[in-house]
Amino acid sequence: MINLKFKVNGKEVAIKVEDSKRLLDILRDELGLTGTKEGCGIGECGACTVIMNGDAVCSCLILAGQLQNAEIETIENLERDNILSNLQEAFLEYGAIQCGFCTPGMLMSAKALLDKNPHPTEEEIKTALEGNLCRCTGYIPIIDAVKNVLDKY
Amino acid sequence: MYNIIGKKIKRIDGYEKVTGKAIYGDDIYLKGMLYAACRYTDIPAGKISKIDISEAKNIKGVEAIALYKDIPGEKRLGPIRKDQYAIIKDEVFYSGDVIAVVAAQTKDITYAACEAIKVEYKSYTSVNNPEDSIKPETRLIHPEFKSNVVVHYPLVKGNIKQGFEESDHIIERVYKTGFVEHAYIEPESVTVIPDPTTKGYKVYGSIQNPYTTRKTVALFMGLNLNRINVFGSTLGGSFGGKDDVINMMACRAALLAKITDKPVKLTNTREDSIKESYKRHPYIMKYKAGFNKNGKLKAMKIDILADSGAYSSQSFFVTWRSVVQATGPYEIENIQTDIKAVYTNNCYTAAFRGFGSPQIIFAQESLMDEIAEICGISPLEIRQINGYGQGSITASGQKLSGHKVSLLQVIKEAVKKSNYKNQIKKFQELNKINKRYKLGIGLSCSFRGCSLGAEGTDATSAIVSVQADGSVYVLAGLNENGQGLRTSFCQIASEVLGVDIDKVVFLEPQTATITDGGPTVASRSTLMGGKATLQAAEEVKKVIFKVIKKDLKVENIEDTIWAKGFIKKNKPAENIKPIKFEDAAEKAYGAGLNLSAYGWYSSPEVSWEESTGQGNAYFTYVYGCQVAEIEVDTFTGKINILNITAAHDVGKVINRLGAEGQIFGGVAQGIGYGVLEDFNIQNGEVKSNNFDEYLIPTIKDINHIEPVLIENPDKFGPFGAKSLGEPTLELTSAAINNALAFATKKRSYQIPLTLEQVFLGKNLKKPSRQSEDIHLSKNKKLSPKISNIKITTPASLDESIDILNKKKCKILAGGTDLIIRLRMKSEQQELLNIYNLPQLKGITENNSGISIGSLVTFSEIIKNKIIVTNFPVLVKACSLIGSPQIRNRATIGGNIVNAAPCADAVPPLILYNAKLILKSQKGTREIKIQDFIIKSYQTKIKPDEILVSIKVPKPEKKYYYSYFQLGRRNALNITRMSISAIVSLDKNNLVEECRLVDGSLFSHSQRLTVIEDLITGKELNNIIISEIEKPLFELINREIGNRWSSEYKMPVFINLVKSVLKDIKDKIGKS
Repeated sequence: MINLKFKVNGKEVAIKVEDSKRLLDILRDELGLTGTKEGCGIGECGACTVIMNGDAVCSCLILAGQLQNAEIETIENLERDNILSNLQEAFLEYGAIQCGFCTPGMLMSAKALLDKNPHPTEEEIKTALEGNLCRCTGYIPIIDAVKNVLDKY
Repeated sequence: MYNIIGKKIKRIDGYEKVTGKAIYGDDIYLKGMLYAACRYTDIPAGKISKIDISEAKNIKGVEAIALYKDIPGEKRLGPIRKDQYAIIKDEVFYSGDVIAVVAAQTKDITYAACEAIKVEYKSYTSVNNPEDSIKPETRLIHPEFKSNVVVHYPLVKGNIKQGFEESDHIIERVYKTGFVEHAYIEPESVTVIPDPTTKGYKVYGSIQNPYTTRKTVALFMGLNLNRINVFGSTLGGSFGGKDDVINMMACRAALLAKITDKPVKLTNTREDSIKESYKRHPYIMKYKAGFNKNGKLKAMKIDILADSGAYSSQSFFVTWRSVVQATGPYEIENIQTDIKAVYTNNCYTAAFRGFGSPQIIFAQESLMDEIAEICGISPLEIRQINGYGQGSITASGQKLSGHKVSLLQVIKEAVKKSNYKNQIKKFQELNKINKRYKLGIGLSCSFRGCSLGAEGTDATSAIVSVQADGSVYVLAGLNENGQGLRTSFCQIASEVLGVDIDKVVFLEPQTATITDGGPTVASRSTLMGGKATLQAAEEVKKVIFKVIKKDLKVENIEDTIWAKGFIKKNKPAENIKPIKFEDAAEKAYGAGLNLSAYGWYSSPEVSWEESTGQGNAYFTYVYGCQVAEIEVDTFTGKINILNITAAHDVGKVINRLGAEGQIFGGVAQGIGYGVLEDFNIQNGEVKSNNFDEYLIPTIKDINHIEPVLIENPDKFGPFGAKSLGEPTLELTSAAINNALAFATKKRSYQIPLTLEQVFLGKNLKKPSRQSEDIHLSKNKKLSPKISNIKITTPASLDESIDILNKKKCKILAGGTDLIIRLRMKSEQQELLNIYNLPQLKGITENNSGISIGSLVTFSEIIKNKIIVTNFPVLVKACSLIGSPQIRNRATIGGNIVNAAPCADAVPPLILYNAKLILKSQKGTREIKIQDFIIKSYQTKIKPDEILVSIKVPKPEKKYYYSYFQLGRRNALNITRMSISAIVSLDKNNLVEECRLVDGSLFSHSQRLTVIEDLITGKELNNIIISEIEKPLFELINREIGNRWSSEYKMPVFINLVKSVLKDIKDKIGKS
């Protein structure tokens, strides 16, 4: 068992978990943050993407022992005071969602990009999202949504 | 004009999906619930002689283990023929069969218990080839049905013999397609809760067809339908896939819920999902066509063999659609079609978006292009000559009338939008110039019967209920799969009642509250469910009209307009004010009227005569045409899809955003089907068991898709709407195949058009990666999952070395590879987590070169200015690794020590003469990277050593460089092959130094010294470049000549080495 202290969505978390738990398990099972999804468990689909210390990562490939003092941001942090971020609004407006299962991971990858690069080119958007598989939308509406997010998101 | 129909409407279930609040199957948590898992078979076919659960049941925390004998109701299941088992007895039919199910207090205990169930078998020879299955000597898979043939549909029209006799040309071709995995991103999950109020069960989960699930669970549990209430959770994709498989899972969870009297959740891992779930049917299609020299089709004989796998499931219906549509949208007088589906020990096959049409369209439309070529006419002309028009008679003798037969219209629109004719000329010109990359353009078209047709009962339900305040509920007997049904149905209610869509709420469906509306399949939701919703809304409208007609001074409802929340006369009168909808609703409620109505839409009549294959198969049809523009790398066989124009007659668009979304998504799946998705099953054992092996398109594999929506309103659908979901997918692979023939002047008769299929004209068997680990592991793990690990996190490098000196540990850095491999291990693993050690981070520069800390990530490497300036090949290679998520974590040290032959950072480091610094308690040592890696996954690192840094000398002179990485996709690749090259020149412009390093070719990357020596001292020109061929071939042949992949890899690698040298030659020329 490991005593862990880290931040999730700006809040301090202190928990004791088994060594074999992944960040994904901790978020979903221990903290009840089920917005982050498991699609493959091997880092190939991106459904479990969260932002860790500013970078998009697959939470299925981070073990509990690697979380000490980390700052994690999940999909649950995007809506503030019941107002959707512009990025979320753009996803709705451009039809970037169908079944929605890849959407949280897709949004977190897009946010990690926009946090660093508010005006990405189409190629930069594609590179930022290349690790997020979507089986419904054919990606085109997703690219359009990210392209059209204005300065503030 | 409509208020809201046809507009771009944001989906009404979008909010919960962008916030992470939507509850999918596995998001359900109930206090005290148990976790279930399946004990799958170890073999694909055989007889079980012993099942031993004694060890498993004694594991602390295990609450129930259920076997075949525990099933309370019907043991044999199946949607049409009862030949399937949620838990098998003693006969194994395929590798996804379940022998036992376990419920325990935690997931880990459940998996441990599954591992502890010991099973003994007598293996059968697995039947895996459908052509073998029908041979008389072959073992019967289900002896009780007396034959391995599940179903045989014949179709006869005209006189086939005479038709061929009257033909100028006759050609015969055989087409093949493989298994396809649905690859919904959400693996299946189901939760069953005992319900004391009904003495039955509530079922939640990722369920495509709740009524089918209800029926199956009720049968299995021996209960009436009203004891089972199925609630669909938000569904994370289905595409036809979450039907039989989730029904079987629901049965198992219900049984465990019964035994334990507790809620039970059963969620599949991706590996379980791919192993157990059904696939698209592979088809072997023999087409014989007779035609006149002007291109007019005279006769067609078709024999199709479909692999039904272990169970019959939907094969009866899937193959029936094929027999109706197999000749394509062409009027042919003489036809004979025979289609058979047969049992094998492969994964069973059932519904998948398209449902028996993508296979035959691939064959039929490829054939049409070939016929055109033989007749010397264009692909367009052959379709114009033979294509259906108004009143045409189909293969099944149905006269196409009562709807607009728009085949030629959709072709015209697709051709216009894609600029088809000009593109042909342009591509032909460009192909004359470019030797390597060839452009191709191709088209395909189809007709498709809407809804279920003569498959069976085709009716559905909806409820529209207006509340006293004017707000509205919509309920439907069909299910939201992500396609946008909720939004469309709410739009329809909103349109009829004239209220804002924000006032309409779609109620979470449950099977207890609305009549069985049939399955959500066959692109029937908008057409059937939309019509039921329309009827219900119109009923309520009539009721409300009764209380306002006096106020509006009108007699007939047709004299009113319901829009923007108001009801008014369509001829405005000054003294009559529009009435607010909510006021009208309140008034009607106050008058004691029923403001809820039931819509029930039953399809118009269809017919089918089994023995001849004749009848009015469907009550209406849709027509589509797609044009594919592609680029083919003839050096490697890689296809890049440039553009797909997709023109579809949808009758009437309900939600434009949703309709375009269907096209984007369906075409993307069609691209996957046509080019990438090569499901690998060998001897009944699934090899492509996760997304590292089963490749679906990434965002970089889709360039442009142009949707063209054509509207010819149909009398049967709501506002004239018909079908769209499936047509979008079914055409793409044929269009791509025709474009490939245009580009390469070679035809392919098999999809997917993998690298090997395009380059060699045949597919090669792939090796397994993580699946290899699963099968080879000593303690074979049934379901890959991390368990049993212990992590130590040292505070410093010295402490790390100290620990390594004392005990054996695996070093955990970024973990992107190690963690995946840990999933295969049962025995305890001790990990030393060094990821945060500052001594191993950072990139430093000194006079002689740079030092890269072993924990530097690929993301850090590709943006580091010193590396970008001095080591461009390293940057290029590292930028193509995995995805940002992987590059943000994966370290250069991990990549080297892991020593996979496909490690992308290694070849450039060999190229740049990198040295590794290794540290242990005995001291520090330095070793050249090429001396460090011995072979695949083997290095000279000692158990007590840590790789500290990588030293790379700065280039002392100007090097020209080139790099090429070949992957099957455009992102998220495991490198198929790469070549890294640098060249420097002397003062006479002769090659002073040349370094070439392979990636993923030999067992570990190495310098191609034979070739380097050949080039050194010479001028780099085309002659010398062509001279490398022979020695390079000899080198590769010696090293890897015997491998499964060498037939492809050898010629392609030679092409790649030549191309990078040519690239360098061109760069020299320009400087």
